[in-house]
Amino acid sequence: MTPEANARAELLQLIDSKMNRTLKYYLDTCVRCAICKDACHQYVATGDVLYLPAYRAELIRRIYKKYMTGSGRLLPKLFEGRDPEDDVLLDELYKTTYACTSCRRCMFWCPFSIDTSWVLAVAKALLLATGRGSEILTQLADSAIDKGKNIDLYTGVIREVLKGSEEEMRRIVQDPSAGFVYDKQGADVLYVALAGTHTILPAAIVFHQAGEDWTLSSFEGSNYGYFLGDTVKAKAIAQRIVDEAKTLGVKEIVMSECGHAHRVMRDFYRMWAKEELPAPMVSILSKVDGYIKDGRIKVTPGKITEPVTYHDPCQIGRNFGLFEEPRNVVRATCSDFRDMTPNRQKQWCCGGGGGLVAETEFDDVRLKSGRLKADQIKATGAKILVTPCENCRLQIESLNDHYDLGVRVSAVLDLVVEAIEIKPR
Amino acid sequence: MDDIKVDLELDLKGLLCPLPMVRVSQNISKVPVGGVIRATATDPGSLADIPSWARSTGNEIIKQEQEGSNLIYYIKRIK
Ligand code: SF4
Ligand code: SF4
Repeated sequence: MTPEANARAELLQLIDSKMNRTLKYYLDTCVRCAICKDACHQYVATGDVLYLPAYRAELIRRIYKKYMTGSGRLLPKLFEGRDPEDDVLLDELYKTTYACTSCRRCMFWCPFSIDTSWVLAVAKALLLATGRGSEILTQLADSAIDKGKNIDLYTGVIREVLKGSEEEMRRIVQDPSAGFVYDKQGADVLYVALAGTHTILPAAIVFHQAGEDWTLSSFEGSNYGYFLGDTVKAKAIAQRIVDEAKTLGVKEIVMSECGHAHRVMRDFYRMWAKEELPAPMVSILSKVDGYIKDGRIKVTPGKITEPVTYHDPCQIGRNFGLFEEPRNVVRATCSDFRDMTPNRQKQWCCGGGGGLVAETEFDDVRLKSGRLKADQIKATGAKILVTPCENCRLQIESLNDHYDLGVRVSAVLDLVVEAIEIKPR
Repeated sequence: MDDIKVDLELDLKGLLCPLPMVRVSQNISKVPVGGVIRATATDPGSLADIPSWARSTGNEIIKQEQEGSNLIYYIKRIK
């Protein structure tokens, strides 16, 4: 075989290795009804066929048909068969694949429930194998892995800098002995925050008030290996938390307000690692909803009087199933809650998922496609937009400037801390 | 060390992770090889993110300091 034929055979083998029954069903079943065109915020906002869900999958389907089906092998032209090393195809595939936010709104609309984002996971594997993976997502994933390997270099300096936030916590909870809890063996809860203090301090206040037995993870929940589509890197990033949970012998892994981290830990880790988590993963949103219901923390009803609206992050709502818990918490804190239309399973993606907030090359489609969310927010007349996903918050902050929304963007726990009735301990 | 020649100043104050690291990555090619970016961030997450980015991309943090809540990194472009 020539080197070119060898390279092609390797790429085809890679694609074939990903082709399980579900994927073949997706590729064989699409009837080109184009119902999904009205579901994808990127297509609706731009009208560019590149962002039509069925077309995104079609690029992979053309390779699949040509090489992996009898009819396609016989009549490749009929199926517009393409080769996996075709530069034009790969260029197009890059633009459409890394632009997709994996919101899965198209799947919800498709009469056959075709999951375009899953087909695009094959596209990502192909792009990575041909050296065309997203550069910035690769750097983010590699630095998370490096952090995992060298964590001892960082924990001291990070904990030193977090002392200022611990001081603030003591002031708020009126307890001079309060602080962040590190490396606690056998704690009930391993809390996995994001990098930075903004997802640590509110949770620490709530845990203190609930009397929770908790300890703070040394690692952030976000996983850019997942966005990149590199399952080896994604697993290595998630593994840092799993190993920590095992070492500490915690009873629960509680995930902070980060959409994709919810799915990575609950749904994908076991697929990548072929092992169960050492402890169940629970969302901080379910925890806090439970604390309020059980009376472990008390919030002043209606404390926040400005109108509040809630954005369902795709990875927490449609793809994880948490709709009511965050709403319960938000409703408990405010007197004027206004849901957007549509909401829950049908909500529009904010446009910033899938790692897009970090990939500046997609700024144009990110901002254009965010118009649908911006219009929804405006229509509520809300002054506070609350959402439990960092990517959504970064994107909506950016929409706030771009579309002049005039809202305060907040995490769910920030509202809880605003409304919490402090009991001295 | 005190008179490091800075080729590019980056104000990353107020940006939350991963944006400080993303901005450094976007700007590193704007300085010549051997050139230095001074980046000022406030997110404590950058304390691990920026040095681990530098190590995994083959660049170098030649100095790191803190002034109040400002976290200052001197990042040398190596390649
Ligand atoms: S809605 Fe489903 S079947 Fe119809 S074109 Fe889109 S992916 Fe294909
Ligand atoms: S998953 Fe979301 S962004 Fe991707 S094609 Fe479907 S609707 Fe569009």
